[in-house]
Amino acid sequence: MIKLLAAFALTVASWSSLAGTAAEQVNVVDPWAREVPPVVSTSAGFMGLENNGNKEHKIVAANSPAAGMVELHTHINENGVMRMRPVENITVPAGGKAMLQPGGLHLMLMMLKEPLKAGETMDITLEFEDGSKKEIKAEVRKFDMKNKPQHMH
Amino acid sequence: MIKPLSWPALAGLLTLALLAGVLLIGPVQKKTTPYASMGGDFTLESINGPVSLADYRGKYVVIYFGYTSCPDICPTSLSALSQAMRQLTPEELESVQGVFISVDPERDTPEKLQEYAHYFHPNMIGVTGSLEELNRVANQYGVYFHKVEIENSSLGYAVDHTSTIFLVDPEGKLRDIIQHSDSPDNILGKIRDAMKI
Repeated sequence: MIKLLAAFALTVASWSSLAGTAAEQVNVVDPWAREVPPVVSTSAGFMGLENNGNKEHKIVAANSPAAGMVELHTHINENGVMRMRPVENITVPAGGKAMLQPGGLHLMLMMLKEPLKAGETMDITLEFEDGSKKEIKAEVRKFDMKNKPQHMH
Repeated sequence: MIKPLSWPALAGLLTLALLAGVLLIGPVQKKTTPYASMGGDFTLESINGPVSLADYRGKYVVIYFGYTSCPDICPTSLSALSQAMRQLTPEELESVQGVFISVDPERDTPEKLQEYAHYFHPNMIGVTGSLEELNRVANQYGVYFHKVEIENSSLGYAVDHTSTIFLVDPEGKLRDIIQHSDSPDNILGKIRDAMKI
């Protein structure tokens, strides 16, 4: 009986992973947005994306009540010259990952309604290729955690 | 008559000559940088009027070219630089000045630049100028910048630009070029290395 139940549960689990929407299959890891000087109304949002499904997924749009406009951007580094360009979508390969991080892919947060302050959270909605949506809360940080100065000398 | 020198005496003299060479030439060699033909003075506009690099003789000046609507690269570089500056001792900090040069004079006013630069560090100022002036300074420092209209973006345009930190010594000479992706600790190390020489 337990075996049967387990088998049933497994079947349902695999169905749901097959039938799930992009929003259900893509996990968002550690989303954050950069605090910027109050005089600036643009910032950037970063996160890791993990696709647990067996089909490639794409973020096609994003928006936030805190920003007039959110765009998907990347940076191209050509011999030290940074060229920022919009991208149509951000692809997360099946069973794979995509990273939005400083110097590369990011959410360009524009026309911020209020200055972003470290410690606050920013609501962002990600929209996927199948129309499914995912609500996330990005922590506003002053610095990239990877770049935090080490005070352990 | 000159007596031929004995081998030990000759060896001793050679050692002395070598030592003298190291002592005399050493500091001279250290002072020439691979960037001797780059950099140099400039005057740009700040909120408090014109600012020249020459105003900061006696200080180490860290210069970064960027623009305030740049949402990622500029704040990342300036954060790293400011974190490095925050780790300097108060004595060291007294001799370090940050200069943020905006290559987007259309959108970045001296008022806006002042606030922007101070946000990152109180020892940092923001300056800009006419495109002609900015082109001249950029050429001096080997910096490329170019305004690019971006279709389908509310930003309107972006400014492609070289993202490096220039370290100028107290004599106004370009001492080091630091990659923007360097960690605060590496930037700190490079500032301190320059101070040691």
